[in-house]
Amino acid sequence: MIYFALRRFALALLILFVAVTAMFLMIRAVPGDPVQIMLGPRATPELQAKLTAELALNQPIWKQLAIFYGNLLTGDLGIDVFSGRSVTEIVFQQLPFTLELILASILWSASLGIALGAYAAAHPNTLIDRIAAALSVSFVAAPAFVVALLSLLVFAVHLQWFPAIGAGEGFWGRLNHLVLPAFAIGLSWVGYIARLVRASMLEVMGENHIRTARAFGLSERRVVMVYALRIAILPVVTVIGVGMGFLLSSAVFAEIVFARPGLGKLVIDSITTRNYPIVMGSVLISTGLFVVSTALADLVNAWLDPRARVQN
Amino acid sequence: MTETLLEIDNLNVDYETARGDLKALRDISFDVGRGEIVGIVGESGCGKSTLISSILRLTAPNTRFRQGEIRFKGEDLLRLPERKMRDLRGADISIVFQDPMQTHNPVLSIGRQMVDIQHRSRASKAEKRELASQMLGAVGIPDPEARLDQFPHEFSGGMRQRIAIAMALMSEPDLLIADEPTTALDATLEVQIIERLKELQQKFHCAILFISHHLGVIAELCDRVVVMYAGAVVESGDVREIFHNPKHPYTRRLIECDPGHIKERARVLPTIPGEVPDLAELPDGCVFRERCNQAVHRCASEVPPLELLKGGHYAACWLNRVEVEV
Amino acid sequence: MEKSRSEFSQIIRGIARDPLGLMGLIIVGTIVVCAVLAVWIVPYDPIALNIKDRLQGPSTAHLLGTDQLGRDTFSRVIMGGQVALKVALPAVFGAMAIGLTLGMIAGYGPRWLDNLLMLLFDTIRSFPTVMFALAVVALVGPSLQTVVFVVMATSIPTYGRVARTQTLTLRNSEFILAERSMGASVARILGVHMLPNIVGVLAVLAAMDIPTVIALEAGLSFLGLGVKPPTPSWGALLKDGYALIRQTPWLVVGGGLPIILATLGFTFLGESLRDVVDPKLRKQR
Repeated sequence: MIYFALRRFALALLILFVAVTAMFLMIRAVPGDPVQIMLGPRATPELQAKLTAELALNQPIWKQLAIFYGNLLTGDLGIDVFSGRSVTEIVFQQLPFTLELILASILWSASLGIALGAYAAAHPNTLIDRIAAALSVSFVAAPAFVVALLSLLVFAVHLQWFPAIGAGEGFWGRLNHLVLPAFAIGLSWVGYIARLVRASMLEVMGENHIRTARAFGLSERRVVMVYALRIAILPVVTVIGVGMGFLLSSAVFAEIVFARPGLGKLVIDSITTRNYPIVMGSVLISTGLFVVSTALADLVNAWLDPRARVQN
Repeated sequence: MTETLLEIDNLNVDYETARGDLKALRDISFDVGRGEIVGIVGESGCGKSTLISSILRLTAPNTRFRQGEIRFKGEDLLRLPERKMRDLRGADISIVFQDPMQTHNPVLSIGRQMVDIQHRSRASKAEKRELASQMLGAVGIPDPEARLDQFPHEFSGGMRQRIAIAMALMSEPDLLIADEPTTALDATLEVQIIERLKELQQKFHCAILFISHHLGVIAELCDRVVVMYAGAVVESGDVREIFHNPKHPYTRRLIECDPGHIKERARVLPTIPGEVPDLAELPDGCVFRERCNQAVHRCASEVPPLELLKGGHYAACWLNRVEVEV
Repeated sequence: MEKSRSEFSQIIRGIARDPLGLMGLIIVGTIVVCAVLAVWIVPYDPIALNIKDRLQGPSTAHLLGTDQLGRDTFSRVIMGGQVALKVALPAVFGAMAIGLTLGMIAGYGPRWLDNLLMLLFDTIRSFPTVMFALAVVALVGPSLQTVVFVVMATSIPTYGRVARTQTLTLRNSEFILAERSMGASVARILGVHMLPNIVGVLAVLAAMDIPTVIALEAGLSFLGLGVKPPTPSWGALLKDGYALIRQTPWLVVGGGLPIILATLGFTFLGESLRDVVDPKLRKQR
């Protein structure tokens, strides 16, 4: 179990290392003086010299990389070009908003998707099963940002049921502000998860141990909800872990459309102002988030499925 | 004669398929007395599985009960409402399935599953656990208390089958159905399990319906035996009587082909040539005729009825009639 | 040739027999025809300004109204379809070709190369697509080519992985082993025996991938990081519509519906294609 976790973690670290190095080299490979590009028309000789020194751009590339990694290990992602604040601080200030949004999206879509899928599997080929199947195929196709825009148009601008912008204050305020963006991000997941659960549920219900549970007179409810569902939801965990990149992408758009604070908004704003350290920092953190979530999904799976613990 | 526990009376079961009705069971009749061990023997596809899933009423959706009754303690199980049927499962009638590797839920601990199946008991969780641990001990699992927290994949096949037996006997059922419980195990384990089953039967006084295609095991364990072929009973009676004086050619061939019966270890086990007939399009006359080397004219046109020969020995073969007539 | 043509028509007939597949076929067909004939269909020049008639609602003159610069929304929607396909098709086919090549090399080549390529695939996949796209756009600036490149780079690993798995399975199959024992060259084994078996699976994947690509292009254009302004893209329509959402709903509707329709059409088509080409895959999902 511990060995399994360590191996996963080592691979995740390796991927993260390659990704960050590639990103770093890409920024340096852009033609032109990065300082010039960053500062744009604001460039003055002193500012340029200061920034060049800060970013260690006058050093050979391998040394820059070494400095970068040295700083990274101490949790230092560099300094914001304009405000002079630590990038780490800025990024981690925005991160909770994005995490909150992703969590809310996956929570509602997974619970609804699992319920729909389990119901459809328990009543195959009924009207509800057919409707759920048709809806799930249709919703899988809907890109989050289009759903976000349309729901903004209908529920915020016209019906005015929910607020259109910001993240809100206090528990209820924040929850209220989460409804539309979480709806937009989660919608395509409902159908996807429902299909996944339905398929794996049908497979599990045909396995011999379900017959055993029935032969001992366990209620059909318990057989479906506990004995079968515990196994049928395993692929959902994996899919959510691997889908973290997709969720993050959707979150970027939802944050823009609903003018919510968060990593996505931070990146877009930084790109328009060419604030590279922040772009780099946010991309690094979101990549890390993705890698960590994939590894986390494996661990959760191992926790839910005792058989997975003995693999390798 | 002991009191009758289970009576199967003229049972006919079909499977509805795209090719038409599959006649899975035809005119099945036999009974099991209290505390009696009855063996059912036959090749795969002879209807053994349909029979036990019919008794438990855990049948596939395309199953049709055409005729007959399954009476348990005098009550027809086929007419029982689903709720009452569920109350019998795992309480009055328990079952041990064939493949021990897939019989338990893989993600729940053995203890959890053994506690869950005591759902009718009012006992506290600790008491249920205690009973589970005792039962594991009774079937010969060492250190049962600690092993309750383990998962099925942490046990060997033989161990898992013992656990399945422990689970089945925990409610002290009146009838235990054992569906080829030793087929998936090797010979040494088979002997151990059979011994254990015998011992537990003495202790719990339950009747056992033991399904197998291995005659040696049946002879070892059972009081009476029912021989099935292509969805019908071809011979039934006392184990000794049937082994020493089989009255149906199919039974004779089964005995000849049984690995336990062969004195010298033959390299290739003898098998009965030919195949079980298509149950969707049954031939006229006796179902065994195609594979029978003693078939006479009459076998091609008329189905031989299951007839009482003497003292509880039944057989369905025209040859017996001929012997009597001649 | 004759054989492959009849196979193709058989696949089309198979798709048309499935109601969802037929719907997908109709939607995708309409989009493709509109995109090809766009120049002749559009009632107005999609980038011609007409400040006098700006921000109008739907009318017989302007089916979907006009935008803040008086441009005809319907004309922009039709032309936007052309832009979407111009990005999606080269990106998907490019990714498929590169992914196929790399995947087969990984599956058939030496172990260390396999490990290296898998690490590369995992790394690319670990960048959240949009973050990766944003990073690239930030570095090289927005343009149609950038979008195509980003989309291609992010979907190569998906094709590569599938191609690798297929190659690995086929590698040990009996007919390949027989070929090898008879001394067939690597090129022959890969090109003649494996390629046809892998392409089918990848084609299904590609059909399912096109909606993602269309959405990504629209998304980047919506953020102002995709195709440049006067070019009519569905994403650009949404960008204008978002800015004017309190004035008129028609821009958001005009940009959003075609995207949803297009993704729906390609998804239906892809699902149906999968069922026709490989019924086994259906069970696995």
